[in-house]
Amino acid sequence: MDRVVKALLIVIGVMVILSPIGILLVWNSQGAWGEWDVSTVEHMVGHKLPGMEKLSTLWNHAVLPDYDVPGWEDKLHASIGYIISAVVGTVLVVTLYYLLVKFVVGKGTS
Amino acid sequence: MHIPDGYLGPYTCAFFYLIMIPIWYKAFRWLKNLKPSQVPLLGVLTAFAFLVMMYNMPVPGGTTAHIVGGTIIAILISPWAATVSLSIVLLIQALFFGDGGITTYAANVFNMGVVLPFVGYYTYKFLSERFKLNEVISAGIGAYIGIVTAATVAGIELGIQPYIQPGYCPYPLRVSVPAMAIAHLVTAGPAAAVVTAAVVWYVKKSRPDLFAMRTIARG
Repeated sequence: MDRVVKALLIVIGVMVILSPIGILLVWNSQGAWGEWDVSTVEHMVGHKLPGMEKLSTLWNHAVLPDYDVPGWEDKLHASIGYIISAVVGTVLVVTLYYLLVKFVVGKGTS
Repeated sequence: MHIPDGYLGPYTCAFFYLIMIPIWYKAFRWLKNLKPSQVPLLGVLTAFAFLVMMYNMPVPGGTTAHIVGGTIIAILISPWAATVSLSIVLLIQALFFGDGGITTYAANVFNMGVVLPFVGYYTYKFLSERFKLNEVISAGIGAYIGIVTAATVAGIELGIQPYIQPGYCPYPLRVSVPAMAIAHLVTAGPAAAVVTAAVVWYVKKSRPDLFAMRTIARG
């Protein structure tokens, strides 16, 4: 196997295991700017945002919202939820990528 | 930098879907140029882009930011490959993890999958070819300018929304642009520079042929 691919596979494995750093480091923060939920924004600006209210509920079928198992709120459970999300997400993006390469481009995936 | 559903109104969202149609057409057609030996490389880089975005970093002032990995893919393979890769990642993030949105998907791909890798790549190319600057340093500077530019563009999209159609993102340009730009200037930008430079340094050292292959595959 290609040396770079092999090295990146190791990096990916390490990143999955260490992923909880990505929430523990920012545990008490208010999240990314402009990614707050509707009620938070409405509270901050002090008035209703009807357009945002309508569009924000368009998709609420995320299986692992915010990269966590719903209800796993303490640091330990959220960390486990985060690792599960890292594994699930990695499998999903790689699967979708190979489907794309195989069916859209029609190239071998070996 | 993932704009959620509700922050951009229907006109803004539709505008970015329209812009993305020809770009997606070109990017997915570009995939045919991918050499068989590059197929697994782009696969692991796509996984890397997904994972690297889970590493939120604290920004002074209480918010967070993360890096994207788009410039790495652009330099190692092609900016078009980065567009394909980030289109996949952002779709999975929106559908399964509620990160980003469905209506804002095209805008998010435009920012992180087009602006970021193309600005990053051409900055790198310009510095290393025109100024003969070291490729590793050029890659770091490219990644820095790429992510800061993408964040600024996201800030502009959010900040013009109140003027286009109120009821969505309430923050005007004078709030949204500095907020998005500063978070990436001080936190995600330097991180992107270091990570990108490190990956390019490693790949140049262990597989210098990949750089030559990229030049051929681009055409």
